[in-house]
Amino acid sequence: MAVLEVQHLRKSFGTVQAVEDISFSVEAGEIFTIIGPNGAGKTTTLEMIEGLITPDAGHISFGGLNWGKHADAIRMKIGVQPQSSAMFDLLTPEENLDLFASFYPKSRPTEEILRMVNLTDHRKKKVKSLSGGQRQRLAIGLAMISDPDIIFLDEPTTGLDPQARRNIWDIVLALKDLGKTTILTTHYMEEAEKLSDRVCIVDQGRVVTLDTPAALIGRLTKEREVRLAFTGDNGAAAEAEQFVRDLGSVTRTEREGAALRLWSVQPEDTLYSLFGFTKERGYQVEQVSIREMSLEDVFIAFTGKEWRD
Amino acid sequence: MNYRKQFSNMFLAQLKMTFRERQTWFWGIFFPVILMVVFMVIFTGGSNDDFEAKVAVVDDSPNEMTRMMLEQIRNMSVFNIESGEPVSLEQAEEWVKEKDVDAAIVFSTSAESGTIRLIVNKEEERGADVQAVSGILDKMVQQVNLAAAGAAPVYELQFEAVSAGDDDLKYEDFLLTGMIALSVAQGGLFGMVGMVEMRRKGLLKRLRMTPARMGLFGLSDVVMRMIFGVFQVVILSLIGVFIFGATLHIHIASLVVCFLIGALTFSAMGYFISSFSKTMEAYMGIANILSFLMMFLSGVFFPLEMMPSWLQPVSHVLPLTYFVDGLRDSMVYAIGPVSADLWIGVGIMVLWGAAAFAIGSWIYRSKSIAATR
Repeated sequence: MAVLEVQHLRKSFGTVQAVEDISFSVEAGEIFTIIGPNGAGKTTTLEMIEGLITPDAGHISFGGLNWGKHADAIRMKIGVQPQSSAMFDLLTPEENLDLFASFYPKSRPTEEILRMVNLTDHRKKKVKSLSGGQRQRLAIGLAMISDPDIIFLDEPTTGLDPQARRNIWDIVLALKDLGKTTILTTHYMEEAEKLSDRVCIVDQGRVVTLDTPAALIGRLTKEREVRLAFTGDNGAAAEAEQFVRDLGSVTRTEREGAALRLWSVQPEDTLYSLFGFTKERGYQVEQVSIREMSLEDVFIAFTGKEWRD
Repeated sequence: MNYRKQFSNMFLAQLKMTFRERQTWFWGIFFPVILMVVFMVIFTGGSNDDFEAKVAVVDDSPNEMTRMMLEQIRNMSVFNIESGEPVSLEQAEEWVKEKDVDAAIVFSTSAESGTIRLIVNKEEERGADVQAVSGILDKMVQQVNLAAAGAAPVYELQFEAVSAGDDDLKYEDFLLTGMIALSVAQGGLFGMVGMVEMRRKGLLKRLRMTPARMGLFGLSDVVMRMIFGVFQVVILSLIGVFIFGATLHIHIASLVVCFLIGALTFSAMGYFISSFSKTMEAYMGIANILSFLMMFLSGVFFPLEMMPSWLQPVSHVLPLTYFVDGLRDSMVYAIGPVSADLWIGVGIMVLWGAAAFAIGSWIYRSKSIAATR
């Protein structure tokens, strides 16, 4: 069942067309990720869905509710963690949560939220003395305070160190276990690949593609890069290069000293034949790897733009 | 929707934030107290009542007249003749230039008629000491003239200070009420800087994504500011009365009216500044300019009448002028809320406040969220 349906959204600011035509629907309980280069229209799209900006055209429906008629009902159903750390710096996490809780007719107990976002130990510290990761966790906690069905996380891990990032991932996955629907934007491909049920790539105000991470990667060309390093002199690598070139599955090779790179549409078969050859000749292979295709390759393939971390 | 719960929680949060913000205390309480102490000491505490001026006397051609005058100057306790004897003109001028003496009195008279010259340092020409010396000397010359003519003075001036109120307005009272008005006004003018910060951090936007009523949030802020203002009034009054000996005659009803309207007006002006300030620095700059202009043009430290007459119409437009007047009327003269002046002042403040609030709200609404991001 779709909890959120977005149809043909369009928005321009003056002469700048921020969003051209964006449509998607989000299913209950999934983690739905929107990625795209800077200026692709992600934030504008989110702000239209969150009711902060009115679209020039298009429809937004939360299971039949829309902003025009049911603004307050929608505000009860959604929780938002905005990009900046929007909270009261002079209050403690506990006080921030209590204050936000008072805005809603029903809310989750502050205790429970503090535990979920792992801030129980810092509950009495002023927000301004918290670390970036702690603030970000509190921002997620604030988004959860009203026990909403749908949670928007706008780049929740930007600027955090790897450990803090993993802590946030755990929280996001815990939300999924609670049956919540999460709409996520991120700068990190690894994050999108790890967390998302479905990924929506947006560029120049349009949806470029939308599918599960695995399916998106699967849509890329079958050609894979294989790397090998031989022990001893360069002769073994040179002979191996000669050998694989004659295999039909190999499209291209590159060699630098004892290191060999080859591109194959059937990497497993290629390796099988290659190892038969090296064993026969008594060559030693020191390292071997097949490079995984990642969402990053998908992103580059679809948008033609390099990803920036 | 339980608005009471929202409001009480918002108010509690505002209370905590105000008490935790050191800047609030510094600028709201500590700074006005220091300013008041400085002004009190400069204008009242430091001056001693025994005025004494050092003078040099030049008497190049002594005669009976000059000897008589010299004798009189000697007998006056306010004059202290340098070196005790008349000196040469060059020596006297030298002393004046070096500021060793306040003035040089030069006799150039014959027994029948002549002039008395008073030489003073250009830098001190308008100083109080020089004015006093000149006044005393003038009086002395008149007496000498009368004596020479053999006449007795017909009229005599008796100096007595009166003021419009029930009691004499002492400078302590004047400054204290001025400082109270200034600090409450600054509280409002500077207090809305939080709005700029909240917008910059996206907190305003964040609150708008909740069912929280922004009007209630603003109200909780204003109520908090009022309570802080009451604190300011009480603390400054206590210091003024018990440390500087100010005397207050308070009319509670007019004080409450004047305080409420004034506090709201200046908060509205702060809100107006916040509506178009993108950064805290911009806000503080504008608030500082307004605050400084009004501080000196609204009769906080000295009466408006001391300003050049062409500048006075400006004062009669500024809201702080009326706030200061209103507080003085209700705290020093105990004028009840029946005075037309009070209501005219209140009316002008309301005009300022309403205009500032209306324009501020319009700017807040008309700027798209994308632009304020």
